Amino acid sequence: MGIFDFMTGRKKPTPGEVAKERLKVVLAHDRLKVNPELLEQIKTDLLAVISRRLEVDEQHVQVIMARDDHWDKLHADIPIKRQKISFEWDPPSYTPASNALRGNKIRVDVERLDDE
Amino acid sequence: MDSRVITITSGKGGVGKTTTTANLGTALAMQGKKVAVLDSDIGLRNLDAVLGLENRIVYDLVDVVEGQCHLRQALIKDKRQPELYLLPAAQTRDKNAINSIQMEQLCEQLRKDFDFVLIDSPAGIEQGFRNAIVGADEIIIVANPEMASVRDADRIIGLVEAAGKPEPRLILNRLRAEMVKRGDMMDVADVLEVLGIDLVGIVPEDEMIIVAINKGEPIVYEKHSRAGSAYLNAAQRIIGKEVPLEEVEEVQSFMERLRRMFGFGPAMAEKRVRS
Repeated sequence: MGIFDFMTGRKKPTPGEVAKERLKVVLAHDRLKVNPELLEQIKTDLLAVISRRLEVDEQHVQVIMARDDHWDKLHADIPIKRQKISFEWDPPSYTPASNALRGNKIRVDVERLDDE
Repeated sequence: MDSRVITITSGKGGVGKTTTTANLGTALAMQGKKVAVLDSDIGLRNLDAVLGLENRIVYDLVDVVEGQCHLRQALIKDKRQPELYLLPAAQTRDKNAINSIQMEQLCEQLRKDFDFVLIDSPAGIEQGFRNAIVGADEIIIVANPEMASVRDADRIIGLVEAAGKPEPRLILNRLRAEMVKRGDMMDVADVLEVLGIDLVGIVPEDEMIIVAINKGEPIVYEKHSRAGSAYLNAAQRIIGKEVPLEEVEEVQSFMERLRRMFGFGPAMAEKRVRS
């Protein structure tokens, strides 16, 4: 009730807010049910492409249909695993130190910095 | 002048499709347009009753489609609006009595004589609904600001677009400002955020509508009804006029009125809902 709001810290959502959040969830599910095989195929394809470049946390990948601003949108949530990215770099001939480097491929190791 | 065939649908039952069709039809006729309203809810007809024309039915749309009569024999002229005609549904048949092709042909026939053809769709997503949208140029979805209705409206949006029709527009019906204020009901912005379609009208809950239906006189004739004015405004927007959206604020408390008197109220500028 009104006067006790300050005690609960006004954090408890109103029925209207609850309805909106429930709707977002249920609609994501309903829209998904409309074409589950297609979304699975897209998910498989996306994973194949992304995995060629980055290591993906396949367990937690999510691909859903949402409606946003007059458009139906595909939302893909693809968590990337912590990793070291290594690649070989062939320096272009016009870099300053290139006289020394030219013809030698350099190995570059980049440690991905995480916020956690 | 090109005719416009507009289907009024919802998915969920009981949200106000028939009331909306009757009142939009009447409001458009009041603006001088030639309007036909078509009840496609075969077996559960109600558009006739809402318009107060239930005693005048001789033929219905199934009779027309089956060739038992001419279209003009089945069309019933409204009691008050000379440019408004009703094509009633059949009551003793069901929704498989006509098919989509027949419905499309019927719409083409109606186009010749009317500026607007408003089709009252049945609830649901089966043959009745498919028939109702097949001949339409535009679709208006009626929804209540309530979980189940919005969920069904979303499904309808998908089906309408899958049928190759343009994006439907929304009439949000039975809004209760006090409940919105308390947080018990979703507001207009919430519903628009979830559905992502354009709004063409906001109609507040109004018990005078029940009276109007009981009397068989559309609410747009009732000068003191906010629901009536909302329908009049929606009709204006359909014609293409810019009408600011209704304020959701209900009856002002005494303190609010006092504040406004002394210049401390919110500006009375146009309130547009962000979509």
